[in-house]
Amino acid sequence: MFKLFNYLRSPIEKGAMIFVVFIVFIALMGSYLAPHDPYEANFKNTLSAPSIDYLFGTDAAGRDVFSRVIYGARLTLATTLFVIAIVAIIGIFVGIISALSGGVIDNLLMRFTDIWLGFPPLILALGFAASFGAGMKAAILALIFTWWPNYARLSRALILETKDKDYILSAKAMGVPNLRIIFSHLIPNAFDVLFVQISLDVAAVILVISGLSFIGVGAQIPLAEWGAMIADGRSASKAWWVVFFPGLAILLTATSFNLIGDVLRRELDPTLSKVKNEKPS
Amino acid sequence: MSFESIKNISLYIIQRIVLTIIALVVLSFITFSLSYIVPGDAALVAAGPSAGKEKIEQLRVEMGLNLPFYEQYFVYLTKLSRGDLGKSWFTHQPILNDIKDLLPASAELVFFAMLFNIIIAIPLGVLAATKRDSKTDFSIRILVMIGAGIPIFWLGLLLQHFLASETGLFPIAGRLSFSNRNFEGSTGFLFFDSVVQGEWGVFWDSIWHIILPAFTLSVLFIAVITRTTRSTLMRALEEDFITLARSKGISEYRVIIKHALRNALVPTVTILGMQVGWMMGATVLVEEIFGRPGIGKYAVKAVTQSDIHGVVGVVLIVGIIFIFSNLIVDIVHLFLNPRLRKNSIGNL
Repeated sequence: MFKLFNYLRSPIEKGAMIFVVFIVFIALMGSYLAPHDPYEANFKNTLSAPSIDYLFGTDAAGRDVFSRVIYGARLTLATTLFVIAIVAIIGIFVGIISALSGGVIDNLLMRFTDIWLGFPPLILALGFAASFGAGMKAAILALIFTWWPNYARLSRALILETKDKDYILSAKAMGVPNLRIIFSHLIPNAFDVLFVQISLDVAAVILVISGLSFIGVGAQIPLAEWGAMIADGRSASKAWWVVFFPGLAILLTATSFNLIGDVLRRELDPTLSKVKNEKPS
Repeated sequence: MSFESIKNISLYIIQRIVLTIIALVVLSFITFSLSYIVPGDAALVAAGPSAGKEKIEQLRVEMGLNLPFYEQYFVYLTKLSRGDLGKSWFTHQPILNDIKDLLPASAELVFFAMLFNIIIAIPLGVLAATKRDSKTDFSIRILVMIGAGIPIFWLGLLLQHFLASETGLFPIAGRLSFSNRNFEGSTGFLFFDSVVQGEWGVFWDSIWHIILPAFTLSVLFIAVITRTTRSTLMRALEEDFITLARSKGISEYRVIIKHALRNALVPTVTILGMQVGWMMGATVLVEEIFGRPGIGKYAVKAVTQSDIHGVVGVVLIVGIIFIFSNLIVDIVHLFLNPRLRKNSIGNL
């Protein structure tokens, strides 16, 4: 973690890192920081402009937009991390099986991931929502269904690269059990690159989740979710703050994670540095 | 081209076609599961709340719900092969007809978004790669990060508010102005039909209406293509044949455009092809904001009306577009990249 700070080169990268730390802090401590109850409606104070009391104004039900944006950070980040954890586990599992078994199984698994790789998650989520009913569940399921192939591909490639290295072979020769080799050598070895992928995926997953909530498929109003808040604010076109601040929160969070992911890729991803240093053959 | 490479190419294409068929089967199985298996008792829903037991039982037999799972799937496939996607609950039309009517509007939007994507992203990528590590490169990188981090539905709302509602520079919504509302063409692509009929007013009107939504749709994709072009061009510029071309005294412009870019664009073309499917999917975010009657707006409406078959119809159509655009890209890729032609079989 401290090493990460040394990687940052420009003020913008430092700013992004500070924002990431800040938003994680907000997500963890939101309930102590929010000045108002994010769900408490007050019909005497609807759509009031930003003021000292209500920093980001109030929405059509008189709820405090500032407190709702703060609560939204926890919901968004928690959902995103949950999705990424699941897809990474599924993907790494499939990738390891594929890489270690080789032959027909490898071929079948990889062709199967090909089919799924990049299937538009937004559209599939609509299907899930129509079937199971709209809600975060539909959004999360659709993301899991469409996202794991990235990790399967990546971890397969990483394992293939390391599994015939001398130290793995000698560990095998010494009779170290296969599972132990997988968990204490192969996975840790792949971790840097997987971590880069994870940090880059955070932004993409945030955007999909908030987009789904915006079209009414993910989080449902009055849940304090950024995308759902933007959808809710559309009807009041004069009250720009209801739409503006949640969107800004998404923009800053996603862009900061993108920048940090980019920095990590620059510093950690060996495939990139190979391109930089090696003479092309 | 040698016999060996022709054999390799045909083997590769056959393999890709088999994969495409498998992908279509998987897709149909998913849409089948979504529409028939998951929603509980479809007969109960169709019969309505006041229906008696016999009525529900009768409907169950009529809808084939008493059949075993695989037989139901088979019935579903036969229906699909006839183009029968069911009836929409809110338009009361066969879903395939609805989608046929709406698809041109979405395809038009994707076409223009792709146009923006190509004319903005590729020059930006080239600029960043040739001015590597300069201020320009850095600014483009920040733009890319923002482009990949901005929620496009929010951007769409802001653009609509500031450039349409407030200032009137662009129309707020729809595909055409009110005065042109009776225009009809044979293909449904307004910019094309209007030119065919010589209606230049309608042509400019349709272009005017599509700029904001198409730009909104393209932003995320521009970020991706800019990045890809930058990194592949940078890699290409380090290759030996570029050094050779430079040492021959060919102008830097020609080196970049004629020699390096041609090689660098191969991966970019692949990604552009995959983006067609993603853009079709992302129309659900944009069409509704800009009031464009396309399949994205239709799907969102169908979800809010709990019209399962309408939604699943769109899932199926977008899925098919995605699968086929990938097949086309893979085949185009084969002809762009001579190395792949030789080695493709070895890596399968």
